[in-house]
Amino acid sequence: MVPTAFLVTVAVFLLIHLTPGDPAAVILAESYTPQAAAAIRQDLGLDKPLPEQYLFYIVRMFHGDLGRSVRNKLPVTQAIGERVNATLELGFAALLWSLLVAIPLGTLAALRRGRAPDIIASGLTVAGISVPNFVLGILLILVLGLLLRALPVGGYIALGDSVPDNLSHVIMPAVALGTFGAASTMRFTRSSMIEVLNQDYIRTARAKGAGAWRVVNRHALKNALIPVVTIVGLQVGAILEGALVTETVFSWPGVGKLAVESIFSRDFPVVQGIVLLSALSYMFANLLVDLVYAWLDPRISYS
Amino acid sequence: MRRAGILLLFAFILSACGAGGGGASTTPAGTPKTGGILKIAQETEINTLDPNTSGLLVEREIYYNLYDSLLGIDAKLNFVPELATTWKYTDDKTLVLTLRKDVKFQDGTAFNAEAVKFNLDRYMTSTDPGAARKSDLASVQSVEVQDPSTVVVHLKRADATLLAAFVDRAGMMLSPTAVQQLGAKLAQTPVAAGSGPFEFVEWKRDDHLTLKRNPDYWRKDKAGRQLPYLDQLIYRPMTDQNAILASLKTGDVDMARSVAGKDVDAVRSDSTLLYKDTPGLGYQGFELNSSAPPFNDPAKAKAVALAIDRAQILKNVVFNNGVLSYGPIPPASWASDPSEKIYDKPDPEKAKATATGFSFTLKTGNIQDNIQEGQLIQSQLAKAGITVTLQPEEFAKLTLETRVQHQFEAALTGWSGRIDPDGNMYAFWHTGGSFNDGRYSNPQVDQLLEQARTTTDQAKRKQFYQEAQRIIAGSAVYVFTHHPNVAQISTKHVQNFTLIPDGINRLAEVWKS
Repeated sequence: MVPTAFLVTVAVFLLIHLTPGDPAAVILAESYTPQAAAAIRQDLGLDKPLPEQYLFYIVRMFHGDLGRSVRNKLPVTQAIGERVNATLELGFAALLWSLLVAIPLGTLAALRRGRAPDIIASGLTVAGISVPNFVLGILLILVLGLLLRALPVGGYIALGDSVPDNLSHVIMPAVALGTFGAASTMRFTRSSMIEVLNQDYIRTARAKGAGAWRVVNRHALKNALIPVVTIVGLQVGAILEGALVTETVFSWPGVGKLAVESIFSRDFPVVQGIVLLSALSYMFANLLVDLVYAWLDPRISYS
Repeated sequence: MRRAGILLLFAFILSACGAGGGGASTTPAGTPKTGGILKIAQETEINTLDPNTSGLLVEREIYYNLYDSLLGIDAKLNFVPELATTWKYTDDKTLVLTLRKDVKFQDGTAFNAEAVKFNLDRYMTSTDPGAARKSDLASVQSVEVQDPSTVVVHLKRADATLLAAFVDRAGMMLSPTAVQQLGAKLAQTPVAAGSGPFEFVEWKRDDHLTLKRNPDYWRKDKAGRQLPYLDQLIYRPMTDQNAILASLKTGDVDMARSVAGKDVDAVRSDSTLLYKDTPGLGYQGFELNSSAPPFNDPAKAKAVALAIDRAQILKNVVFNNGVLSYGPIPPASWASDPSEKIYDKPDPEKAKATATGFSFTLKTGNIQDNIQEGQLIQSQLAKAGITVTLQPEEFAKLTLETRVQHQFEAALTGWSGRIDPDGNMYAFWHTGGSFNDGRYSNPQVDQLLEQARTTTDQAKRKQFYQEAQRIIAGSAVYVFTHHPNVAQISTKHVQNFTLIPDGINRLAEVWKS
């Protein structure tokens, strides 16, 4: 994990610093003067050679200091920390939506293979995979927000302030963010389930007189879920990625929206911090997947 | 492209949803109601709450409701008393301000001449690398406290633009006690630091910023009622214009400064919304780099200006939400002369006779409106035998190449505008000015801009600015296309809002029905 994280820091550092744009000019905006811009560049250390800036960055990182935001001078850890809860909530809700839709529908499609439920589920899958999350978000805003006035069109209310308000605000962004995952997970659940249902031990279970529910739930599903877990693990890692767009569409004050704004204003330290977080979340998701494997299939063990 | 297309489609359906009914452009009269929360959408998040380091328009939006300035302006851009009741130049280099005696900052500190000196000194001597008010106050030598309600500003040189600077952030007064106690926290949590109609409550970055009524505000309305009327202001940053419009329609926000140009007609005819607009102080167009080929040849620059059809750009790109521009002086300004129409009608034949058969690259922002405008310019200039290559770029890159590196042939840029014409001209076309991207240098323009700065006689200043405008627009160092409107879109519950051409919300007198 450590070498991967190290490579990530190098790649991110180079990419963001090689992107043309001057943070000083962006921050000063209509108050720009060459003198003020030079003062800001010096203050941020941007006038130093890149290797020196990188070294400085790494040394500080080992002290738990990711630097300060160029835009508002807040420590990067604080800037990200303030928004992480909103993104975690959105990510969790999106994953919940994705699993609640995908597993039952995927199973149903496998059991009724080639019949109406399967065809409908497959159609939904294609739609879910091909519609980008921002388009779905906009459609949801249009229908549920503007035409039916059923849900708020954007914004965020903290869970601590009001639980019903919090939930009503999270539904649309969660559906927008989670649907792509739901569609691909459903696809995997279906094919994996079909494969498992054709295996000998399922026939044996049926022959022993186990009920349909028990066969599916107890014998088939758990084994069918192993490949599904892999794909869900990848989705967990990708939540931050999808949040970039979804959070912007829904004015959701999370890490994704922060990333978009920081990129546009060339807020180097914050972008670096967020990409590092994103890389770590992928690694964490991978670890989680490995642990779930072992729980699903006792034959897999780690020593 | 695909995304933009879908967004357009969405916006179209969105506009269609609310169509119908007759729009109202004036606010109905009635007895003001005290109380209520006003939710305001902002186009971007702010960076700081300290005027000293502010560079964004959205920041000024909040400051004008949080802090008071020394001077104010009315809808016709006349200076009106605010914290200073009178202002007088006793000679070219001495400005005497008489201050209100009944004002306290929200933390209880008295507002007086000492506070003015503290604030102006802070702006002028700040060691913060982001300090942005130094250049506004560059002409000030020292600030002298004559008595508790009289301040004398001594100048290094005559400066006719200083009063306009005192309306904006350089004239915003903060409690010296709060500034000293808060230190670096001032930029994030300026608790009780102002004397304005509202005081700071909280700022959850990227989500909302809340201000509450200042119960001890010094202003009353004409009937003697305490201002402000509203209990709270909640600002919400919303970067997506479609999201702003959707939120206005559902009432999730009460007020916004802008919607996409293509949606304006639908908003005007929406019976649930109020739309107000007026030509703003800014201008739009494109700059031609006079220090590099091809536009170091003045004939080529003139040919471009001659071939441009401004009315077509105004109609097709801006949906007529603005007025044609013939120079940097906005129509609302006292320095404007409506009869002055440089390059009024397109004349491709005359353009061809001036210079033709050359090509240049036009850099634009990478948003749809900018690209469309670039394409229109491209097709207009083709008629005069001028080939334009478009190069859409992300905003930060465009700023770097024009403002910092001066590497461009032509670039689509604009300016939000300032109250005094100096703010629309000096930094752009004076030799070595901060915004002089194309390194334009003309001793005659330099002299006119200097003279206009150092004369307090407004009639003379108008002559100087007119003359400078004729040279700048005439030489086509910048091709002016239009002055965009500033607008205010709100739900019909928002009452008594006055739109000032600087486009900034002043909400002390606004109430909700």
